[in-house]
Amino acid sequence: MLSDFGTIFLFILAAVALVSMMLGMARLLRPNNPNEEKLSTYESGEEPLGNANVQFNVRFYVVALIFVLFDVELIFLFPWAVVFGNEDLIQQTNGQWGWFALAEMTVFVGILVLGLAYAWAKGYLDWVRPEPKTPHVDSPVPTSLYQQVNEKYKKS
Amino acid sequence: MYPIILLSVLGIVVLFLGFMKSKNILLPATLLFLALALGSNFIDWNQGPLLYFYGMFSVTNLTLAFNAIVLISAFLIVAMTRGFQDDEEAQPAEYYGIMLFSLVGAIMIIGYEHLIIFFVGIEILSVAMYILTGSDKRNLRSNEASLKYFLMGAFATGIMLFGIALLYGATGAFSLTGIRGFVSTAAGAQSYILYAGLLLLLIGMLFKVSAAPFHFWTPDVYDGAPSIFTTFMSTIVKTAGFAAIFRLLSHSFAGIYDFWYITLAVITVLTLFVGNVVAVYQDSFKRMMAYSSISHAGYLLIALTALTAQTERSILFYSMAYSVATISAFGVLMLIAKEKSLDGRPNESYDAFNGLAKQNPLLAFVLTVSMLSLAGIPLTAGFWGKFFVFSSAADRGLIWMLVVAVLMSAVGIYYYFRVVIASYMKEGNTGKIRVAPFYQIVLVAATVITILFGLAPGFFEQLL
Repeated sequence: MLSDFGTIFLFILAAVALVSMMLGMARLLRPNNPNEEKLSTYESGEEPLGNANVQFNVRFYVVALIFVLFDVELIFLFPWAVVFGNEDLIQQTNGQWGWFALAEMTVFVGILVLGLAYAWAKGYLDWVRPEPKTPHVDSPVPTSLYQQVNEKYKKS
Repeated sequence: MYPIILLSVLGIVVLFLGFMKSKNILLPATLLFLALALGSNFIDWNQGPLLYFYGMFSVTNLTLAFNAIVLISAFLIVAMTRGFQDDEEAQPAEYYGIMLFSLVGAIMIIGYEHLIIFFVGIEILSVAMYILTGSDKRNLRSNEASLKYFLMGAFATGIMLFGIALLYGATGAFSLTGIRGFVSTAAGAQSYILYAGLLLLLIGMLFKVSAAPFHFWTPDVYDGAPSIFTTFMSTIVKTAGFAAIFRLLSHSFAGIYDFWYITLAVITVLTLFVGNVVAVYQDSFKRMMAYSSISHAGYLLIALTALTAQTERSILFYSMAYSVATISAFGVLMLIAKEKSLDGRPNESYDAFNGLAKQNPLLAFVLTVSMLSLAGIPLTAGFWGKFFVFSSAADRGLIWMLVVAVLMSAVGIYYYFRVVIASYMKEGNTGKIRVAPFYQIVLVAATVITILFGLAPGFFEQLL
């Protein structure tokens, strides 16, 4: 008699067998003539430049963290949404269920919103833009002179 | 149950209090919040065993007593922070907030009834500790400690999860009562999946309380972390961790004692040996305290291995005595290390204590009492802690373990007395150290508790 763990073991075996069978079949069927273009890393059609092992701006991580936070929140919202509209539960509690579930989720989302407000107030959401440097030329000719010339020869 | 909700909300409040211009309100506010949590802890006192959160969290007088130890230790430690005013890079609101959140995790693992609650609690506690360890951002050793602790802790958590998964696979239950029900059946006591799950879960838990051979992170992490957070780690995490292991073993696995006690006995002896012997060779007081915390984990493990009816009380008393003594020892260390700082870094070696007693008799006295308590000399709480632990081992007939433990506590006297000798006998000049009144109250309170429970340990029994 197979236990539940035996089923899992069979499943692992089947997964390995399936993947090796499919890759093996592909290897037998496909033509094999590589060239440099084909072997290069695929970067959405861009020409790969330099090493992938470079330092990223640390702000990417902060934004990614906040993104993951709200992504996970969404996962918690799905099961809640399923029981929120459950008619049996609503009838059993004379409609109190809806308010209860809504209040619970408000607390949950409220705490996350507080977290977002905290990150916002701390300035973690600001992406400090590089200051554009306008080229400045020390010239004895005043700017107004150029403007006069421009005005004079302006195409009407 | 009430402190969990209260601390979660108040932690967020502390975070937002940090936006105010003046940082002076944070320390009194945090102390007030901790006092509130301690008060709310006793709402359920003497209400009998209660179950909360759909039977996932249990409250008994024992868990409430453990909560009280954790909360009082946190209160004393927070009182010693002085609002982090010495360091302009510090972020007090975040530190206090994380400390309050980590207490939520500690309370969850003290009273869990469901392994999921246990897992969530231990993650809350550990993640908070990883952050606090690395809070000294400009110090390379603090960064190293944090990274090391995080990587190793993540592996330990993974092993623990494997254990929980196997336990679920074997028993079909996450709750401690359900697991006990399975263990008491004839088939359950023979299940190898259950054995494997228990071992993996124990490995993860023993890692968190730094028992050998899972102790390798302890010296570096305790040494690298800022001293105030080392105190927090070595008292609160240890108390809560042992409460959690005791709960697991006594509630669910008392039926297969014969299976796990040999494993635990070997780990106990190894922990005692490594902690005490390696501590002898340390030159830094803080590093010695890290090894001393390993050796105290060993003494607490003796009580767990014996698992008699007295075990819960001996663990409770021991962790109380250990926490109080550790807090006062680190309190004195922080003052001296700052006074005698070398190259802008606190000096934590034994030499910094030379000649302490001449100009600072109070600090030397506090330090001596805490060292005596940690070494287990009579008339201190630490003596009775060791006494209770050893007597429960004797009840079980674990004489060989007792012999090792007594030998090792003799070794302990050597390294605990080194710092006492340095402060009383050696020549040196520490200068008159100015101690803030609040700080002084904490040190004196910790010393008084140590002596009080050393003179009248029965008083503690009556409190329960």
